[in-house]
Amino acid sequence: MTVYLFQALNGVGLGMIYFLIAAGLSIVFGLLHFVNFAHGAFYMLGAYFCLQALRMGLDFWTALWLVPLVVGGLALLLERVLVRRTYRMAHMYQILITLGLGLVIQEICIIVWGTEALNVSPPESLSSVVFFGDFGYPSYRLFVISLATMLTFVLWLALEKTRLGALLRAGSQSVEMVALLGVNVSVLFAFAFAFSAGLAAVGGVLAAPLRGAEPFMAQEALSIAFVAVVIGGMGRYSGALVASILIGLTQSLMSSLWPMGANLMIFAAAAAILVFRPNGLMGRV
Amino acid sequence: MKRRKFLGAAGSSVAVACYSQWLHAQTNGVLIVDVLPFSGPLAGIGRLSDMGAKIALSERQQRAGSLQVERMVLDSEGNPARAVRKVIEAMEQRKAVLFTGEVISAAALSISKEVAKVGGVYITAVGADEVTGADCSTSTFRYSVPTFGAIEQTVRPLAKAMPQAKRWYTITPQVVFGEGMLANAKRVFQELGIEHVGNTYHSLQDREFSGFLTNASAARPDVLLLLNYAGQLQACIRQAANFGLKGRVTLLAAWTTGLYEYHALGADLMEGVYTGAQYWHTLDTPGNRNFVKQSAVMFKETPDHSMALAYSCTRLLLDGIERAKGADPAAIIRSLEGYKYEGVTGEEEVRAFDHQVMKAYYLLKGKSKSQMKDKDDFVDVVSGGKSFVDEKSSLCKRQ
Repeated sequence: MTVYLFQALNGVGLGMIYFLIAAGLSIVFGLLHFVNFAHGAFYMLGAYFCLQALRMGLDFWTALWLVPLVVGGLALLLERVLVRRTYRMAHMYQILITLGLGLVIQEICIIVWGTEALNVSPPESLSSVVFFGDFGYPSYRLFVISLATMLTFVLWLALEKTRLGALLRAGSQSVEMVALLGVNVSVLFAFAFAFSAGLAAVGGVLAAPLRGAEPFMAQEALSIAFVAVVIGGMGRYSGALVASILIGLTQSLMSSLWPMGANLMIFAAAAAILVFRPNGLMGRV
Repeated sequence: MKRRKFLGAAGSSVAVACYSQWLHAQTNGVLIVDVLPFSGPLAGIGRLSDMGAKIALSERQQRAGSLQVERMVLDSEGNPARAVRKVIEAMEQRKAVLFTGEVISAAALSISKEVAKVGGVYITAVGADEVTGADCSTSTFRYSVPTFGAIEQTVRPLAKAMPQAKRWYTITPQVVFGEGMLANAKRVFQELGIEHVGNTYHSLQDREFSGFLTNASAARPDVLLLLNYAGQLQACIRQAANFGLKGRVTLLAAWTTGLYEYHALGADLMEGVYTGAQYWHTLDTPGNRNFVKQSAVMFKETPDHSMALAYSCTRLLLDGIERAKGADPAAIIRSLEGYKYEGVTGEEEVRAFDHQVMKAYYLLKGKSKSQMKDKDDFVDVVSGGKSFVDEKSSLCKRQ
């Protein structure tokens, strides 16, 4: 029984990291109705920039706030130069362009850092393991769960209780109406895009000590984030949260019940949700 | 007009292709084709393998006996289907019959079959035991030690060094290679009276091992034997350290890619971890001293596993051409069967019945950062030796 409790705790930890990636994707899709296949690349950049920051002598805590700002800034630049030109295009073109952008970022990472998964050490203060009987749980993972929970709450407050959040939510309902109210929609879109990239980068920085930094981590993150968005409901922040935790729990618990099917079950669950609740668990009907 | 242009272009292409083959024949040369991943997830291995092959060619001034060697490199892109297609194209367009390389087992097995069809020679160092086992062929030679030797030379010496460690847990990728490793591990466990307290299979897509490691932890093993490789092995070791398993349980990774992997993981993670390896650059043999020296001169790099394997495969092919006094594949095959030579791991021998190179496999133990004498001094070589299935037990039934 204890092993399942631990798998559940582990699943929640995984789910919170997935949420940080999925939340940004959900915001961009909900507000901009934009399919961003480069989103995983921002997560990967978060991990690599964290690695680079540590190599340059900065500490993890500095990297944790600095890297998302840098990635967010980079995303803002890309949005202004490239992405905004595709908002009015069909989804197919958005997918092609962002997929290409993701591959370019991936190849640049390979050129700079190589193809091997590079190790990123957790901060010294969180390198211990907390033991519950025979089971050890990394204090860093406990920190990740706590921080991600806090960020989730702050994000919820920002979206539900601030003017900017209200504008983002209104934009996800009707961009035209928000524009008629005198809001500069172009700036709002740019902010949302950069913010979502920054959020993915937070996930990348937090994941780096757990998974290392490697050039193929973007695809895995992107596929899980898309599944979370689909299960939770397109553009639904709370849906992305519930779905991410469900995915983390499924992946972790299945490791004990049917290890080879751990990944398969995630996608099987997504398929089932699409069949029985096409708008997702919390999607608008 | 368009038709005329087309005919002109087609005619020029044919002329260039014919001239190239004629020129090759006139220069009394031999073409060897190296299949390596220069792009895709294994691009790093391709780069290192290329360096190893270049050293082998350079130390003989690009010659094999009286023949000038032309080396053609095909990018396998880490994709078996593309690798095989490129090999077939090289056979058709360049009449290539002498091949080395490839790091993906599925691709190597397919290449082996294609090369056998044209009666060529193929020397590889992939992990799949079938290459010199059930799917062995007259054309194919394998340099790397099979899973049998990898387990024999890691599990057995570690169990001997730690007689109190009686509970072992395994984590295995569910592919043919993983099954081979697990079957051999179970056999050795049984022989040594070790209790196999559990095994977790995982797919080739898994990168998150925390759940599997929790299973392992629940079984309270003395030793956690990792039977996966490359990126998945690295993720597994990293996460085992995260979960505090490293201090409580002895970790043994039976199949690693040596120095390159140590650089990626770092000394802190690898300290105290036991690994199995085909090669390590500090081996004190005449062949290795020469190889390390050549590598320093040509690339200013300490050679790693991939470099050594590619160097050895290319060298073996060049030896075969030299001993056969020509590029006739049948003569090369005959000349290599039973061939003994001084390789990077000491005396190496090509076994005649299955074309398996008999060489040593090593058990390494990670040093602490403070013990490292230089940036590449990650391990102590604990032991090494040769273990191979005998002819009677081998699945190779080549006529």
